[in-house]
Amino acid sequence: MPKEAVRRKLGTGVLNRGDRLFFGITSAASYFAFILVALILVFLIAQAFPALKDQGLAFVYGSTWEVTPEKAVMQIGPMLYGSVLIALLGVLLATPMAIATAYLIVFILPKSPAKLATNLIDLLAALPSVIIGLWGVLVFTPIAQGWADFLHKNFGWIPLFATDKGTTSLNSSPFIAGWIVAVMIVPIITSVTREIFSQFDRELINGALALGATRWTVFRRVILPTASGGITGGVLLGLGRAIGETVAIYYVLQLSMKINLFQILEPRGGAIASWILSRFGEATEDEFHGLMAAGLVIFITTLVINLIANIIVNKAQPWRK
Amino acid sequence: MEKVVADPRPAKQPWNKSSKLASFKGGRGIADATLIALAVVLAGVVFSLLLSVLWSVISAGAGAMSPQFLYQNNRYISTTTSLEYGGVGHAILGTLWLVLLATLVALPLGLAIAVYLTQSQSKLRNLVRSITQALAGLPSVVSGLFVLSIISFLGAQKSGIFGALALFPLMLPTVARVAEEALRLVPADLRLAALGLGAPNYRAFFQVILPAAKSGIITALLLGLARVVGETAPLILTIQANNGTNLNPFDGGVATLPTYIYGFISAGYASSITRAWGASLVLLILVGILFITARLLTADKKKKAKK
Repeated sequence: MPKEAVRRKLGTGVLNRGDRLFFGITSAASYFAFILVALILVFLIAQAFPALKDQGLAFVYGSTWEVTPEKAVMQIGPMLYGSVLIALLGVLLATPMAIATAYLIVFILPKSPAKLATNLIDLLAALPSVIIGLWGVLVFTPIAQGWADFLHKNFGWIPLFATDKGTTSLNSSPFIAGWIVAVMIVPIITSVTREIFSQFDRELINGALALGATRWTVFRRVILPTASGGITGGVLLGLGRAIGETVAIYYVLQLSMKINLFQILEPRGGAIASWILSRFGEATEDEFHGLMAAGLVIFITTLVINLIANIIVNKAQPWRK
Repeated sequence: MEKVVADPRPAKQPWNKSSKLASFKGGRGIADATLIALAVVLAGVVFSLLLSVLWSVISAGAGAMSPQFLYQNNRYISTTTSLEYGGVGHAILGTLWLVLLATLVALPLGLAIAVYLTQSQSKLRNLVRSITQALAGLPSVVSGLFVLSIISFLGAQKSGIFGALALFPLMLPTVARVAEEALRLVPADLRLAALGLGAPNYRAFFQVILPAAKSGIITALLLGLARVVGETAPLILTIQANNGTNLNPFDGGVATLPTYIYGFISAGYASSITRAWGASLVLLILVGILFITARLLTADKKKKAKK
C-alpha cells in the first residue's frame, strides 16, 4: 500500500481508473497540438499542390502574377523578398528600442514606474493589428513621410535612400512598413530581453562596478554579452511575427510586383501576407490555389524561424523549466 | 521583476538603482550619461508611438461615439451616411459570439495541455512545449487560409463557425502558456499532500490545484480572449460580412468589429473613416478591459503569495 502511494505520488506505475482517464485526456489534448500543426500543413499542401505543380519552382522567385481564365502565371518573388526586407527593417529599428526599454525597466527605473512601463509595453503587444494599420495609414504615414523627405534630401546620394526619377511623395514605402512592423515587434523583443535582464546575477554587476567599471562598460562588457543569446532568440521571434504580419502592412504599403531591392523610401514594395489579402477578394479558382501556396510558404518560413527562436530563448532562460 | 533582497544592506549596494545616477562627472560620467540618455531617448520613441496610437484612437473615435453607435446595426447604412444613424451593435455581438465559440474549445484544451506540461512525467513534455510555442507564432493569415481550405474541402458556405475555428489555433497557445505558468505557481507540496492523503491525481487537481490556481486560469482565459478579439485577417478570409445582427454560426454572414473596421477604412470616405475610428475605440476598450482585469488578477495573486 505505501509503495503504491509512492508510485502514485511520482505519477508513474499503477494508476486507478480515474487517473488513467485524467492523464489520458490531458495527453490526448497535448498530442492534439501536434495534430493541429500537421493538419494545417496537410490542408495547405493539398490546396497549394495544383498551383505549385503548375508553376514549379519559379513560384518562389519569379515576379509575374497574371491570371486569366485561360492561363495563370503566379509567382511571388517580389512579395517574398519584400516581406524579408520589411521584417529586417522592422527588426533593425525595434531591437535597439527594445533593449533600451528593457534596460531602463530593469536597471534604472524605480519599482513602480518600471511596473507601469512593463504593463504599457504588454498593452502595446495586445493592440490589434487592424488598429495599428488604421493609425499607421492616417496618423503615422504623414509623420514618417517627413522623416523620409529629410533622409532623401540629405542622404539621397546613398543608394539606400535614393528613389526612382519622378517619385514625388514618399509614402507607402518599405520604410514606413518597417516602422509599423517595428511597433508591433518591440514588445516581443522587450519582454524576452527584460526577462533575461531581470534574472541577472547582481553579484556579477557589483563585481564589475567594484573593479572600477562604468555603467557603460558594465552594459557593453557584462550585460550585453551575457544576454546576447536570449536577445537573439527574441529578435528571431519578432522576425517571425513580422513576416506573418498582414493587415497593418496592407494599409501602409504600395504592393508591387516590380521588385524593390533596397530603395526603402520608394513607394513600392512587397509583403506576402498582405498580397494574399489584396488578391483574395477577386480570386479565381487557379488563383485560390496560388494564394494557398503563398500561405504555405509563410507558414513554413515562420514555423522554422519560431522553432529556432524558441530553442534559443529556452536555452537562455533555464529557470523557466 | 521581483527583487530578492538577501543582503541586509540593499540601499548601500553600489549600483543600486538611482543611487548612482547623480555622478555624471568626468570622462566616466560622460560615458554613463550617454548610455542613460540613449536608453531614455530610444525608450521614449517606443512610448511616444504607443501613446500616439492610444491618443489617436481615443480622440478620433470619440467623434463617432454615441449611445446609438453602440447598439444600432449597419442596415441601410452606406459609407457616406451621416453618423447619426447606424452603429456597431451587431459587430460587438458578433465579435463576442465568435470569440466565445472559440473559447469553448480553446480553454479546456489549453488547460489540459497545461496540466499535461505540469503534472505528468511524460518524456514528451518538452516536445509538446516546443510545438505549443511554435504554434504561438502562427501567422493569423495562415490560420485563416487553413480554415478556408477546410471550407473548400467540405464544399461548405462561409459562416460564423468557421470564423471561430480560425480564431481557435491562435488562442490555444496563449491559454496553454499562461495556464501552465499559473499551475506552476501552485506549491508542489499542496499536490503532494493531497496525494499523500490518498487522493487520486484527478481529485488532487480538481479539488486542490485548480482552486489554488483559479485566478491564474482566469488570467489565461482573459489573455487568450485579448489575443483573438482583434484578429482581422482570419475573419476576412473565413466569414462573410453582414450588416445586421446574426448569431446563427452555421448560416449566413456575421459582422465583427475587426472586419467592420477593415471594411470602413477601405471605403475611404470621411464619415466611413470616422466609423472605423469609432469601432477601433470600442475594440480598444474591449482589449483594455480584458488586459487590465488580467493584470489586476495577477497582481492580486502575487500579493497573496507574498503574505
